[in-house]
Amino acid sequence: MKTIYCALLFIFSGILMFGSDNSNVVIKKSDNPIISIKIWFKTGWQDDPAVKKGLSFVTSQLLSEGGTKTLTYEKVLDYFFPLAADFSVSSSMEMTIVNARIHKDNLDAFYPVFIDHLLNPGFREEDLQRIKQNALNYIKTTLRYSSDEELGKAVLYNEIFKNTPYENIGAGSVSSIEGITLKDVQEYYLKYFNRSNYVLGISGAADEKLITTLQSDLGKLAAGSVNNYLPIKPSPINGFETVIVSKKAAATAISFGFPINVVRGSREWYALAIANSWLGEHRNSSSHLYQVIREKRGLNYGDYSYIENFPNGGRYQMPPANVSRRNQIFEIWIRPVPNETRHFSFRAAMRELQLLIDNGMSKEDYETTKKFLRNYVLHFAPSEDKQLAFALDDKFYGINGSHLQKFREMMSEITLEEVNAAIRKHLQYKSMKIVFITENAEKLKEDLINNKTSPIEYSSPKSQEILDEDKVIADYALPFNGGSVKIIAVEELFN
Amino acid sequence: MIKVLFFLIVSSIMVSAGDNGKIFPYKYENFTLDNGLKAILIPMKGSGIIAYYSVVRTGSRDEWEPGKSGFAHFFEHMMFRGTEKYPADMYDSIVTSIGADANAYTSSDLTVYHMKFASEDLETVMSIESDRFQFLRYTLEQFQTEAGAVYGEYRKNRTNPWSVVFEEMADMAYDKHTYKHTTMGFERDIKDMPNQYEYSLSFYNRYYRPSNVVLVVAGDFSSDKAKSLLNTYYGGWKPGYVAPQIDAEPEQKSFRKKEVQYEGKSLPLLLLSYKSDAFSSHNKNLLATIHIAELAFGSTSELYKKLVLNEQKVQFIGASPSENRDPGMFDIYTMIKDEKDIDYVLGEIEKTIEQFKNTPVDETRLSNLKKRGKYSFIMGLDNPNSVASSLPQFITATGGIEVIDEMYSELEKITSTDIQNAVKHYFKKEKSNLIILKGSK
Repeated sequence: MKTIYCALLFIFSGILMFGSDNSNVVIKKSDNPIISIKIWFKTGWQDDPAVKKGLSFVTSQLLSEGGTKTLTYEKVLDYFFPLAADFSVSSSMEMTIVNARIHKDNLDAFYPVFIDHLLNPGFREEDLQRIKQNALNYIKTTLRYSSDEELGKAVLYNEIFKNTPYENIGAGSVSSIEGITLKDVQEYYLKYFNRSNYVLGISGAADEKLITTLQSDLGKLAAGSVNNYLPIKPSPINGFETVIVSKKAAATAISFGFPINVVRGSREWYALAIANSWLGEHRNSSSHLYQVIREKRGLNYGDYSYIENFPNGGRYQMPPANVSRRNQIFEIWIRPVPNETRHFSFRAAMRELQLLIDNGMSKEDYETTKKFLRNYVLHFAPSEDKQLAFALDDKFYGINGSHLQKFREMMSEITLEEVNAAIRKHLQYKSMKIVFITENAEKLKEDLINNKTSPIEYSSPKSQEILDEDKVIADYALPFNGGSVKIIAVEELFN
Repeated sequence: MIKVLFFLIVSSIMVSAGDNGKIFPYKYENFTLDNGLKAILIPMKGSGIIAYYSVVRTGSRDEWEPGKSGFAHFFEHMMFRGTEKYPADMYDSIVTSIGADANAYTSSDLTVYHMKFASEDLETVMSIESDRFQFLRYTLEQFQTEAGAVYGEYRKNRTNPWSVVFEEMADMAYDKHTYKHTTMGFERDIKDMPNQYEYSLSFYNRYYRPSNVVLVVAGDFSSDKAKSLLNTYYGGWKPGYVAPQIDAEPEQKSFRKKEVQYEGKSLPLLLLSYKSDAFSSHNKNLLATIHIAELAFGSTSELYKKLVLNEQKVQFIGASPSENRDPGMFDIYTMIKDEKDIDYVLGEIEKTIEQFKNTPVDETRLSNLKKRGKYSFIMGLDNPNSVASSLPQFITATGGIEVIDEMYSELEKITSTDIQNAVKHYFKKEKSNLIILKGSK
């Protein structure tokens, strides 16, 4: 057994050396018959022109669902179908990834049509219209009316990054999507999908021929330069800046947070990751917020915190890859609570954040969380495909070696003092953006600015300890003021 | 050793589709204890990780007593409330300390508890898992608190109009069988859950028994070691399974339809469901519906191209065959962009069905579909968890995973005539049920 591990470590070290220089290629060869190809183009939603928000998203959709010059999308679907080929182009704030996954038996049939999508995209009007229509429906119906949790997060991010290129939910806004033309798409494609602006990743049983062919074919993309990512400067937050999105809602979704100035790769990030995991590990009952709000009080389905963007958290258990961004926020996500407990639930979460910042982590919690994360990280990338995706993220963050390997190593190195220093440096509880998605918004506004007591009643008996703590939470004072609590009707969002 | 675990890969044991005439690409062993507990052991050397699935062959289907809908799902929550030996706090802290990823889910036919962890922790996991399956303990207070969380989950789900559609469909399409309610249960029953403490104890005693549970262990472990641990930790589990008294659903004799007004905004949603059979690899008609779902309504179907790509009348359209343990339904679902097109879209769906009855499907399309099916299945099995997670529905329907090879072998033999016969057999107006949901203006 030991020999196998050593042999594999050796192979992996080879991969590391390949990936850690400044080359634009990451290769993770193995004998896995399923080959993954990932091409990261250095562009994303942040590059949308101000009046064309959604352009990056629409272009990436059109690249994967718009066929090639010679084959319509319909024909491509037929062609890829028997090959069981996975092919998609996904965009996020700063990364656009062309993803392909194919069994080696089918590689030769797959490749020419796959690469033609990048070199000779179809860009047909009817496909553009379909994709625009889908994006509009997403904003107008799905996000506004049937996904309150994602809506809360979308509004939070837009509020935090207001008036910066980050103020973009991907699908942009209704008016900007409507204004996107094929000419816009073509210009965007030529500018950003150029031969100097990508990193190529390959894993699985890929032979030299595939690697050289891919490199040579990508050399046929338009000439251009590496995208110059401009600095993002979110405006300072003044106290509790709150948006109440008013809509008919049986339950209240709550998200709040503030920008942080630390990203993975730095020692401080791993220290903060320990604190964050303890406070609110995503979809995990070890989350302290989960324990306080869900486990002890049964108020909702879960409560979590983040130091990295985690889109579609309701659907995924483990952190996503390839949504890297230079500017992250600290964020708390309270899943829908009964409307009558919205004020209480928010207070409970805020109080826990304050307790963590004021008291720091205890030795015991620190030890347990370190131990937890050390193995939990094993589950982040169980397949080669996901490992390749993480390797591209390493390139994004400029991490020499592997973030996930470093994450595990850091769990043996980071001290409690470092964790508590990172908490004091990066977290705070005095200035933040807060979003409620709820009905009866005026009442909530009044309750918040008047610091009205928010006692809670249960339908089942609770221990005296919980009841005593509830009294403290119910009167926990928060610095809201009338001027900073805005009410927005859901129809007014993303127009 | 731990240092390298993460980077190990499972590729060495992957094989091409079709080797040895079997599609399931891993060697496995069925190991059954004297008390009836079956474990399916799937060693995958080199991964460093184990996926551990406890499949309880009880889901909302088994909630046959009036007023008790939603209990299988609720009970899934209670299973995290601890035992005398491992109280909830201790269970959580053990799971946390080994960095396991643990969770559970419930569907109409099953409840699954799953955990992923480093290989070195297999014994720890067997110890805590076997204990809660045999000696679960919880107080009335814990029970009632969890009922609140379940109601919260119901509220969360109701914000998605599709959950409303499926809830309405179940209630309308079934008269007697327990598929009448969804896994969440009727809202009135969920509200009443805090009063059902005694019933919960009986639920556990009847269903959480060795002959009703199948374990799947996939990943980096030795079978001999696993078998010895299974004997140690599960050997003492007492039999005592009591089967539910589920009424058979009478034959549906007329078309049913309901229009639902959704409180929130939504594009119109349409769900058209035809009564089907229970899952079996020996039922040629049923197996043919797996192909029909893709041929008639999938992304390469004529209907998809027409409605989604060319006319752009719908946001998406798709279908899923019955894979239930008892006779389920073949569902056709779509999201329509404009309310005025509802009748048109429905007409196009019905036209497609008629066409499949009258015209044999193109042989090339059918053979392409078979090829795709095999490669898709193989490509979905690239790590211990993806292997283990692909198995529970087969296990609950048939008790094991032998059915996978049988099913793919039979699917290979389906002809265009079989497809035609199956469409004629199932897709009859009087066996169909239609829900149309319209959002508020």
